[in-house]
Amino acid sequence: MNRVARWWTEPMPLARVAAFRVLAYLFIPIDVLLTTSWVAWHADVPTDLYQPLIVGELLNLPLPTSAFVVGVKWSLVVAALLAATGRAPRLLGVVVFLLYFEWMVIAMSYGKVDHDRFAFLVALAVLPTVGAARWGDRARSEAAGWALRCVQVAVMLTYFLAAWAKVRFGGWDWVTGATLTRAVIRRGTALADWTLDVPNLLVGAQWLLFSLELLSPLILLARSDRARVAVVGLLVGFHVVTYAGITIVFLPHVVAMLSMLPWERLRRASAAPVAPAYALPPAPLAGAPPANA
Amino acid sequence: MRGPGVDQDSTLGQPGRTVRLLAAAVVLALTAVGTVWAQDSAFPVGPFRMYSTRSGPDTVVKSTRVDGVNALGDRIPIDESETGLRRAEIEGQLGRLVADPTLLALIAESYARRNPDRPPLTRVEIVVRRDDLRGGVRTGEFTDTVTAAWDAEPVAAEPVS
Repeated sequence: MNRVARWWTEPMPLARVAAFRVLAYLFIPIDVLLTTSWVAWHADVPTDLYQPLIVGELLNLPLPTSAFVVGVKWSLVVAALLAATGRAPRLLGVVVFLLYFEWMVIAMSYGKVDHDRFAFLVALAVLPTVGAARWGDRARSEAAGWALRCVQVAVMLTYFLAAWAKVRFGGWDWVTGATLTRAVIRRGTALADWTLDVPNLLVGAQWLLFSLELLSPLILLARSDRARVAVVGLLVGFHVVTYAGITIVFLPHVVAMLSMLPWERLRRASAAPVAPAYALPPAPLAGAPPANA
Repeated sequence: MRGPGVDQDSTLGQPGRTVRLLAAAVVLALTAVGTVWAQDSAFPVGPFRMYSTRSGPDTVVKSTRVDGVNALGDRIPIDESETGLRRAEIEGQLGRLVADPTLLALIAESYARRNPDRPPLTRVEIVVRRDDLRGGVRTGEFTDTVTAAWDAEPVAAEPVS
């Protein structure tokens, strides 16, 4: 097996997939009913304002009539809740992916496309391929490794390709423009309005943002649990600041990022009282630092 | 019952591994093509272009909103949840709406569906506010322009039979 294949399928704990699966599937009802509830508004919008995406035309997806949008919405919520139980992970996982994909087609076909869903869609696509994974599983699996790797790469690409798009659409001088000023004028909060009076501040922020996006492939180098916790913490911090400033939050993307965290350690921590810490076997993750006492 | 910590790792068979690597390669290739050549319509593999356009430090900042006049004659601002379309969606279809303002009747229609208890709209306006910018700082001056408007037909008289 060559190095590339080994990198993509490096074994990862099944318990991590089991935990992430519950988070991802439970997030869907929150997303549909609360945090992205505007998608469901499209049920009331006449279909003459529907502007089909390429994928909608290629697959001949149905016109989002009112009944269709409402039907997809509730099927998706029910399917996601069932999938969160961990039962029939392949079948329910595929059903949830297809319904969520259609939900996103309904979301993005009215004149505006968002970019906060790529990694979450990838996560929903790959989760069913892992098959059975239980919180109590102590083993690692290459199928789990591939799935988690795909999500990690998708998270990285969301940043890196955003830098690419800035050069493509904005030009290399994007960083010296007034894009963030425009964003704050259009949707700035009370927490962000003061930045408008300090012109170089937002230009500096643009330099920082663009540099961090270009450096995002470093995310793939975070191999130890501690490094990955730090990376996720840093990125979540960025998204929280963005939300405070212009009330845009890449919530599905942030949920996808949670797949990078070593959830299986929580189980070990909660199991610790059963056996004294010194009697625990060494962490099975090759190259991982010893668990913190 | 399973022993602690040292279960056998499960490995992939050669077909399973090949299919997975191919799937990853295909999605990566589509995403690369989407980023380099495609537009938003290629979702989910289109370019990640949120905030990617450059705004000049001395160009105006445009914000679009929808205003309406209801059957009582009140002029009211119409927010996103009332039309069912987000501001960016109105802006994304702005060219179409300006070219054919009768499409604004559809917005009045979704307003009626989403607000069945309120008087219907008899006029819908797309208003663009232009905030002045100098050296990346807002001057405080702005202008509002109605770029598209639609009026409901006056209630038709009883048809003559």
